Amino acid sequence: MTALSLGRGCPEPAFSSAGPGRVRGYLHGIKHVACASTVAVLVIGLSVASLTRADAPRRPTLESIGDQVMCLCGCVATINHCPHRDCATVAEMRPVIAQEIAAGKDETTILQDLAIRYGVQVLAAPPAHGFSLTAWILPSIGLLAGLSFVVAVARRWRKPRPALASVPDKALDPKLLAAVEEEIKASRMTTRD
Amino acid sequence: MNQLGTVGLIAALAFAAYAVVAGAIGGKLRSSRLTTSAERAALSFFVMLTLAVAALEYLILTNNFHNAYVAEHSNRDLQTFYKVAALWAGQEGSLLFWTWLLSIYSALAILLNRHKNRQLMPYVVAVLMGTGVFFSSLVLFIANPFQELSLTTAAGTQAFTPPDGNGLNPVLQYHSMVIHPPMLYLGYVGMVVPFAFAMGALITRQLGDNWIRTTRRWTMVPWALLGLGILLGGNWAYAVLGWGGYWAWDPVENASLLPWLSGTAFLHSVMIQEKRGMLKVWNVVLVITTFFLSIFGTFLTRSGIVSSVHAFAQSSIGPFFSVFLCIILFFSVTLLFLRLDHLKSENKLDSLVSRESGFLFNNWILLALVFAVLWGTLFPLISKAVQGVTVTVSAPFFNKTAIPIGLLLLFLTGAGPLLAWRKTSFQSLKRNFIVPLIVAGVFGVFLLVEGVRHFYALMTLCLSVFVAVCVLGEFWKGARTRMKTGGENFAQAIYNLTMRNTRRYGGYVVHLGIVLLFIGFAGLAFKAKAKALMQEGDLLRVNNYLLRCDGLTNGDTPNYAYSRALITVTKDGRAFASMHPEKRFYKASQETTSYVSIHPTLSEDLYVVLSGLDEDTGKAVIEVFVNPLVVWVWIGGVVVFLGTLLALFPSRVEREMAEIRRTQDIAVSASDAG
Repeated sequence: MTALSLGRGCPEPAFSSAGPGRVRGYLHGIKHVACASTVAVLVIGLSVASLTRADAPRRPTLESIGDQVMCLCGCVATINHCPHRDCATVAEMRPVIAQEIAAGKDETTILQDLAIRYGVQVLAAPPAHGFSLTAWILPSIGLLAGLSFVVAVARRWRKPRPALASVPDKALDPKLLAAVEEEIKASRMTTRD
Repeated sequence: MNQLGTVGLIAALAFAAYAVVAGAIGGKLRSSRLTTSAERAALSFFVMLTLAVAALEYLILTNNFHNAYVAEHSNRDLQTFYKVAALWAGQEGSLLFWTWLLSIYSALAILLNRHKNRQLMPYVVAVLMGTGVFFSSLVLFIANPFQELSLTTAAGTQAFTPPDGNGLNPVLQYHSMVIHPPMLYLGYVGMVVPFAFAMGALITRQLGDNWIRTTRRWTMVPWALLGLGILLGGNWAYAVLGWGGYWAWDPVENASLLPWLSGTAFLHSVMIQEKRGMLKVWNVVLVITTFFLSIFGTFLTRSGIVSSVHAFAQSSIGPFFSVFLCIILFFSVTLLFLRLDHLKSENKLDSLVSRESGFLFNNWILLALVFAVLWGTLFPLISKAVQGVTVTVSAPFFNKTAIPIGLLLLFLTGAGPLLAWRKTSFQSLKRNFIVPLIVAGVFGVFLLVEGVRHFYALMTLCLSVFVAVCVLGEFWKGARTRMKTGGENFAQAIYNLTMRNTRRYGGYVVHLGIVLLFIGFAGLAFKAKAKALMQEGDLLRVNNYLLRCDGLTNGDTPNYAYSRALITVTKDGRAFASMHPEKRFYKASQETTSYVSIHPTLSEDLYVVLSGLDEDTGKAVIEVFVNPLVVWVWIGGVVVFLGTLLALFPSRVEREMAEIRRTQDIAVSASDAG
């Protein structure tokens, strides 16, 4: 009984005094530590990787900008993916981008310059200001609203807990209460032994 | 033959209209004669449309260019294989094909429910044929593929037959393009059956378990076919468009993804209704949403309201679709509101940490993804309406919004099956999650040590390992129990375990397929690209590949002329492959297209494109992509499809139950006769 309780994660392994019980307790602790460490390493490692990525200065290239700029020949593709051979629009836009990169401008500035020059539809993603900001915000709002809805629904549908806690003490038979407490005490003693 | 086709269409429309009326009245009056009559009319609808399709195929295969559709989409030198596919290459033909598939689904639904769901069937037939009326009217009056060419001169109008046709769009002349549209359409069209059953159940107030059990299988089939269609479309884009990718978040691609996502949500939430009698309203909403999105996808593809590289067949049918979509929405939502009292939940949630909650969260994420993709797809239109400026919403937007949601979904793919129905204890959570978390964590650290720094790729790969361990662990636990108790060996145990509950383990196989898909997606983060002008003897290095141009040859076939680059590839100094990308010039349509040369391996694809010839130097413009892990996307898609087939296969328990029922029926019949 004791072993079973400990093996299933009894919350009181420190009270165990028997040899095998103590070993199981240590193993149990080691398992906890291993699990926690792994999760911690995973979270920290991934966060560091993420931050490394975020902090790295983004040096624009013809390739990276080309993925974010639409070709305006009517092909509905970025200038990197325009299917037309010798597309005049791509031929015109690439040197412009190359000049901007050569001038040492960052990605945001280059994209802004291109939007001013060719119109906002040249950007493969809507700009994050004005009405276009809603394009970026609404999916997140939708996600959070959905989460709130799901949590609210789940709480509403949740079965009410057994109403024992709300029963006033005096409603219980004092003799029965004493007998139950006695039994709990006895069972604790047995477990520790 | 044109007249025969038109007659077929007229008869089909008449039968469909009659079936709607007879079905609705038959259901109202509970008249089995009228119901049977409606069913027979629906079967006749199928026969008449088959006649129309056969007529059009005959016209295409016999090069009858007097028919305007054949002259526009076929030519004499087109291979027979592609001539068959010309049926769905243009607006008129593809709408006819859509309607024909609807008639097939309707006929199957009727034949498979001859002795089941009898109260629902009149209304099911009415809804199916209501959709049939809409599509056959479109084909007959708006986009008729049986129009004949005529020439108007001063002397009057006379029949005209050009010597040859314009040919099939060159980019459609690719093998997966022959089966991609049928699969996609089978997916779109098939969603009408669950919708019809849902409406039938709402009208008759038969909202118990029967309709949901029937609907689940009728959703799984089109869901699997739609998924396969999307995959084949990706494969076509990858091999033909020549930009090195398979998914561009194009509006038409998004339109196909939307019903697949909402269908996925339904296939999960339906389990809660079956097991616990909960989420009844939600399931009806999902069925309506999925059907609505299927029609919306067709509308988006056909109407041209958004710009797309895939819009091969645009016309002015948009307003008709808008009206039909409004009718669907009004009819179904009104009916749903009227029946809310009959859709009350039979149970409550025992715990927030349970399989039921897992499905709720799964539905939340899937629907959030539907919303994000739909919002992004329609935002150019909304922006134009609100601020008068058309903005572009393309891959950079969708990658930023959809990928994080997709990762949450991937996590739930593994975590969901580990949660118990009703309530999952903390101990159980710990026991089930500890190994997958440790393995994923160790793998994450390994990737970091190996220098992987791309955040999303890292997360995707770690979560993929987590999910794979979770799912494989379920197989292992089940097999181990059988090995201990039944004395079976591992292979027997896995086989018997799976066949005992095909639905559950088929679902797990689908989840493994999703893992493989995500692994394939993660590979995109590491792609490499190079471009150069090359002539004989020139070298080009990409990663550890060295490409040598051995020359350029030109050739001619009856259908197209081509330029072919001969490229020899070595990898790490060893002979690797000989690749021959082509640039083709199709004579009939006077269009050029690339024929990409791909050398796939399990770790990465070498993808070589002959983009063209430099006008000044005459050198070949060669683009090379190294695309890691792409093959896992195709493998994953196939695994998802096979897993769905497995889940559709009746399990041993189901077959035993069916056998018992059959025996009981025979015994009852015998005693009645006695």
